[in-house]
Amino acid sequence: MKELIKKLAQVSAPSGRERKAHLAILEELEGFIDGHRFDNVGNLIVWKNGNGENKKKIIFDGHADEIGVVITHIDERGFLRIDPVGGVNPLMLLGVLMNFDGITGIVSYEAETDEDARKSLTQPSYDRLFVDIGATSHEDACKKVHIGQFGSYLSPFFDLDPMLVSKSMDDRVACAIVVQTIKETQHPYHDIYGVFAVQEEVGLLGAKVAAYDLHADIAIAVDVTAHTDTPKGNKRMDLQLGKGPAIKIKDKGSISDETIVRLLTTCAEENQIPFQYEVLVFGGTDAQGYQLTGAGIKAGTLSIPCRYVHSPHEMVHIQDVTNAVRLLKAVALKPNW
Amino acid sequence: MYLKDLCEIHGASGNEEQVRTYIQEQLKSVDQPGQVDVLGNLFFERKGNGKSDKTILLLAHMDEVGLMVTNIQDDGLLAVSPVGGVDPRVLPGKRVWVGENNTPGVIGYKAIHLQKDDYKTIPNWEKIRVDIGVQKKEEAQKTVSLGDYVHFYSAFEEYENRYVGKALDDRGGCAILMALYRELPVLDYNVVFAFVVQEEIGLRGSGSTLKRYKPDAAIIVEGTTAGDNPELKKERWSTHLDNGPAISYLQSGYALDYRLFEAILAFANQKGIQYQLKGRTVGGTDGTRLAGSYFGVPCAGVNIPSRYIHSPVSVISKKDFENTKQLIADILTEEILLKALEVKV
Repeated sequence: MKELIKKLAQVSAPSGRERKAHLAILEELEGFIDGHRFDNVGNLIVWKNGNGENKKKIIFDGHADEIGVVITHIDERGFLRIDPVGGVNPLMLLGVLMNFDGITGIVSYEAETDEDARKSLTQPSYDRLFVDIGATSHEDACKKVHIGQFGSYLSPFFDLDPMLVSKSMDDRVACAIVVQTIKETQHPYHDIYGVFAVQEEVGLLGAKVAAYDLHADIAIAVDVTAHTDTPKGNKRMDLQLGKGPAIKIKDKGSISDETIVRLLTTCAEENQIPFQYEVLVFGGTDAQGYQLTGAGIKAGTLSIPCRYVHSPHEMVHIQDVTNAVRLLKAVALKPNW
Repeated sequence: MYLKDLCEIHGASGNEEQVRTYIQEQLKSVDQPGQVDVLGNLFFERKGNGKSDKTILLLAHMDEVGLMVTNIQDDGLLAVSPVGGVDPRVLPGKRVWVGENNTPGVIGYKAIHLQKDDYKTIPNWEKIRVDIGVQKKEEAQKTVSLGDYVHFYSAFEEYENRYVGKALDDRGGCAILMALYRELPVLDYNVVFAFVVQEEIGLRGSGSTLKRYKPDAAIIVEGTTAGDNPELKKERWSTHLDNGPAISYLQSGYALDYRLFEAILAFANQKGIQYQLKGRTVGGTDGTRLAGSYFGVPCAGVNIPSRYIHSPVSVISKKDFENTKQLIADILTEEILLKALEVKV
C-alpha cells in the first residue's frame, strides 16, 4: 500500500494535466477491472461488475489532479512568472522547488529595497514571486519551458511510520485507496465505478461531467481533509490522524446524504473499523459535483485526515488509509442498505 | 461594418434582444433564419458535407456589462447597481442611456473645486447616481422605471490601427463569428455559431447550447483583458495589443483542454501565424460552463486583446481583430481540433 501511495503521489499532474496520474493508475489496475474509458473532459472511469441480485451502481471518486502553478511569463533573463492552479497560497511557495515536466525551478521573491523584501515576505503575492530554473537567458529558458506549462511541487515521499509524507497526498492517497479497494474486491456485490476525476482543484469540473454520464445510485468522494491535532490546531473542529477515516457530515460545499453517512457508519461498526465523524467548517469535495449535476446523485465523502494540506508536504496516517480501504470494501460487498 | 454596429447597440446581460435581432437580420440573408432558444441564445448551424458527423461550436456572448436602475429618488436622481463586473471608478463624469426610451443621463461627481481629499476615496455604489436632468421623482418616472437598464454612451471610432468603443467584450467575438459564418466554405463537419446571453453575470446562457447540438469541441471567442498599461509590470500584463490573438490555457474554474491548446500552438508555430499566450489566468469564460456541464465539451480559448474592458471605452487592435478571425478560420478549415481529439488520452 505504501508503495502504491508513493507511486501515485509522486506523479506530477496538476489540474488539466492529469494524464500521467491516469496512466499510473491504469497500470496498477490492469487485470483487476472489467473495463475503462476516458470521457470528453478526460476523466478516467474504470469499472468492475458486481454479482449481487439487487446490486446498485456505486461511484468511488478520487480526483486525479493536484494543485500547482502555471508559467505565465518568461522574462529577458530567463526568470519565470507564475499563477496558481487551484488554491495555492503564495506563502507556501517561498523557497520551494517546483517541477515543470522534469525541469526544476526555485521559487523566490522580489526584494529591490528592504521594504520591498519585507513586503514580499509578509504579504506574499504572485506579483512578487518568480521562478529560477537556472536559465542564463530568455532563449535558454524557452528551450526548457514554455508559457502555459503547468508545474507541481517537487518534494519527496517520506515514510515516517506510521505517518506518510509526500506532495499531492491530496488526492493521490484517495486514488490509491480506490485502486486498492478495487484490487482487493474480487467479487463485489455492487457495480463499482472508480472515477479518477479531472480538475477538482479548479472547480470540481470532472465530477460534474462524470455525474451526468454515470447515473449512479450513490457516489462516495474520497478526499483528504483538515487536521486539528497539531500545536494550536483549529479549535472549532476535531480531526485527528490515526483515529480512522472520517465520515463527512458536512463541509462548505455539501452535506453528505444521510443514507451514505448511515451506510458508512454501519459498515464500519459491523467490521470493527475505527472511524471518526467530520464536520468541516470550510472546503468542499467532488461530492458537491455529484449532488448538483443532472437529477443529482446521493453523495457523501470519506475523508482522510491530512496535515498541511496544499503545502509541499502533506501528511497522512497509514492506518487511516488502510482502514478506508476496508471500509470501502465493506460498502462494495454489503447486499442490503 | 458589423463591429461598429454591434458596439453601438445596447445589450447589457438579460437585455440582448437588439443585439440578437441585429445579428439575425444580418445573417439570415445567407441561407437560413437562425434559431433562438428559450434563454435567448441565437444559433446558426453550418452543416458539413456529410463526411463527418462531428460538430464544432464557435461561441461568443452577446451581452455587455452595464447598470440597472434600483431606485428613483425624490430628487429625480437614479440609484443604480452593476450588471456584470463594473468598476465604479470608471463611471463619474460619463454619459449613459437609460431604459428602453434611451433617456440620456450623466453620472455626476463633486466638482474638483469643492473637493478636499475626495480623490483619495474610491467612488462606490452608495454614491453613484445617474442624473437625467429632472428635479422630481414624478418627472423621472415619465421615462424611467425601476429595473431599467443603463448603458454606456460611447460612439465607435477607428484610429490608425485601433477600434475604440464600448462592449468590445464580446461584440468583437460576435463580429468575428458573423464574418466567419459568411466566409467559411462548407466543411467536412458541422459548425455551429452560437451567440449567447448572460455571460457577464455568471455564464448563465451558454449551458443550454450543449444539449441542443452536442458539440465535440468548442472555441470560445472573447474580448480579453490586455492590462498592458504602462504603470503595470510587464511581467504581469495579460496580453499586449498588436501581438496577435491571445490563446488561453487556464481560467477561473477550468484548465482549457490541453489537446486543443497544444494542437493550436503547434499549428500556429508551423504556419508562422502570430499569436500570444495570455499572461493572466483570472476571470472566466463560457468555456468553464461548457466543459463542466452535461457530458462536458473540450474547449479552446482564442481571444482578442482588449484594453480597458468593462468600461465605457475599450480599445482593440485592427490587426489583432483580423488575425484572430484568420486564425480561427485556419483552425477550422485545417480540422485542427478534431484531429487533436482523435489522439486518445
